[in-house]
Amino acid sequence: MSDALAPEMTGALAEAAPPGAAPAVIDAAPPAIETEAPRRPRRMPLASRRFSVEIRQLMAWQWQALILAIAILAGMAISAAILIAAGIAPKDLLNEFVVQTFFDKQNFEAVLFQAAPMILIGLAASIAFRARFWNLGLEGQMICGAIAATTVSLYEIGPEATRLPLMFAAAFCAGLLWALGPALLKLRLSVNEIISTLMLNYVASNFLLHLVYGAWKDPKDGFPHSAEFRVFERLPELMHGLSSAILLALIVALVAWWFVDISRAGLYLRFVNSNPRMAHAVGVPVRKMTLAAVLLSGALAGVAGFVVVSGQEGRLTQAFYSGYGFSGILIAFLARNNPLAASVVAILIAGLFVTGRSLQVFYQIPFSMVQLIQAIIVICVASSDFFIRHRLRPVAAKGV
Amino acid sequence: MEVVLNWLANSPDFAVPYALAALGLILSERSGVLSLGAEGLMLVGALIGVGAQLAFGAEGISLFLAMLAASAVSLLFAMMVIVLRVNQVIAGLALVFFCQGLTSLLGTLLNWTNQALTGIGAVPFGAMADWPVVGHILFNQNIIVYLTVPIFILATLFLNRSTTGLRLRAVGENPQAADAAGLSVGWYRLGAIVAGAALIGLAGAYMSVYSTKLWVAGMTGGRGWIAVGLVIFARWSPWRALAGALLFGCIEALIPQLAAAGVKLPQYFVLMTPYVVTLGVMVWVAMAKSGHDGEPGALGQPYVREERG
Repeated sequence: MSDALAPEMTGALAEAAPPGAAPAVIDAAPPAIETEAPRRPRRMPLASRRFSVEIRQLMAWQWQALILAIAILAGMAISAAILIAAGIAPKDLLNEFVVQTFFDKQNFEAVLFQAAPMILIGLAASIAFRARFWNLGLEGQMICGAIAATTVSLYEIGPEATRLPLMFAAAFCAGLLWALGPALLKLRLSVNEIISTLMLNYVASNFLLHLVYGAWKDPKDGFPHSAEFRVFERLPELMHGLSSAILLALIVALVAWWFVDISRAGLYLRFVNSNPRMAHAVGVPVRKMTLAAVLLSGALAGVAGFVVVSGQEGRLTQAFYSGYGFSGILIAFLARNNPLAASVVAILIAGLFVTGRSLQVFYQIPFSMVQLIQAIIVICVASSDFFIRHRLRPVAAKGV
Repeated sequence: MEVVLNWLANSPDFAVPYALAALGLILSERSGVLSLGAEGLMLVGALIGVGAQLAFGAEGISLFLAMLAASAVSLLFAMMVIVLRVNQVIAGLALVFFCQGLTSLLGTLLNWTNQALTGIGAVPFGAMADWPVVGHILFNQNIIVYLTVPIFILATLFLNRSTTGLRLRAVGENPQAADAAGLSVGWYRLGAIVAGAALIGLAGAYMSVYSTKLWVAGMTGGRGWIAVGLVIFARWSPWRALAGALLFGCIEALIPQLAAAGVKLPQYFVLMTPYVVTLGVMVWVAMAKSGHDGEPGALGQPYVREERG
């Protein structure tokens, strides 16, 4: 449209310049300028502006990173506003969330301590999501892993030296088995895995309560948690308060990175993730890959449960798993299912958890604030994806 | 006999939240939007219901405000899935966790937690409630129980007989065709999400205002998710959803009656039953799957006009 108008317009202006030119031409020109498309929107009121939405093929990574950063900043700004409304002085916010958490030695150790299960749960979520399987049963798989590890401890299975490896193996297998049901139901009968894994979470958490309020109640103090683990059943401290749990988590992260980025199975998984039908057509064993990924995801969640009870709590407690399920999803989502990125995001989320606990103690703010902040960040980042995948172009308003 | 009568009299109380939440989900899913946020919207309805009841003491206002609040929160979800085309699973999950965090925070900060509500009871039918056998079951329920059936009739008429309802279903079955026929896919979906959220909010408010008569964080305990499963079980048909809700209500109502009758059951295994039954029902539906399973054709798919093929 503008191309067609351009010559007429310049013609009109050229005619207008010399004095005594034919007035008829000038009279004809103004309506043409009125409808000129590209320049109008800038001067229009916001409500009547119109944009056309176009699908973008690929955006340069710098711009993607910029949009992601803006989204995270927006999420943090909204969270900060809520925290201020909940009664935290604005000047304390930065101090509590960044300085105290990441630059204080003791607190940073607490963050790393918290990061170990976070990394594992984030990896578990990433691997399942890579196979297009919504594993929302991470908490249930964690519970099963923790129960299996505690069984090994309570019944004193195996000699002292092999106790920890045995607990690890038991947790690995228990998490794997708890994920087996939903995986088979999805593959065989296409039962929706979102519902089946969530339902199994409730089953597992009730079973946990049955144990800690029943047979496994601590004989010493009668509280609803299992008896304390012995020294050799706890993940040892390496040095300077650094738990071996974080080392274990980092090793698992490296293995997971090798699995998804380098191994043949990882390549297959990328096929399955981008287009299962195409992958099947070119001979990728889609069902086997999906099953393997889901089972591995469950197993890693089980190991995360083992790390919490053996590394942090030192016993099986009734709510040790709370908050991990959504954190895992959040980590995988923010890290785009990349294991190494997931490890970094997990450390930040661990920082959020540690801060959340101190807010609970010093400001009487419920721990659910952490969940709210996580949800706000997910909403902002998910929404920002629109601007990465689409291009907005101003167009002329309708009916002009 | 006494046990059976009590059981039947209590069943509607447990069934109503499932029924209303499932109906709300059916409304929005028939327009093609996969609504996983029911659990969160129920919590919003439950919290606001209790808060309004504490503040104003009038049931009608409480229920209305609860529905309004759930609809308002669902606008966030609608913006994500309709305008910004976010993956509907991610948006639904984010909504649930957002609502869980928000309601638990507000409940504590506003001091609404564990505040018992008083003065809410059954609709007074006078002597009819004392009739033998049927009196206690039919004439001793609260107002929402009686309203549930008319709500279902209205919803069915709307979906199957009204022009708007047919258009809504067209949007859910084939948005491309609906768009070509001049229907605005976005506006229909927005309407379906908001109306569905109002019903889901009502379900939550029913739980807190009529059933438990108090607010506790996370009090819905996965019922929103069960309702999502119930809709799949009902194959997106309101009447089958009502039947399923009654089934779940009967199962849940049976538990306290058995305990009262002196049957010794391990408590936590009993608490697992709704979830295990949901799983069982999902498996059963999957195994009995026939050719046409009633699932809206475009369920869970964002509609992008530019990608129209």
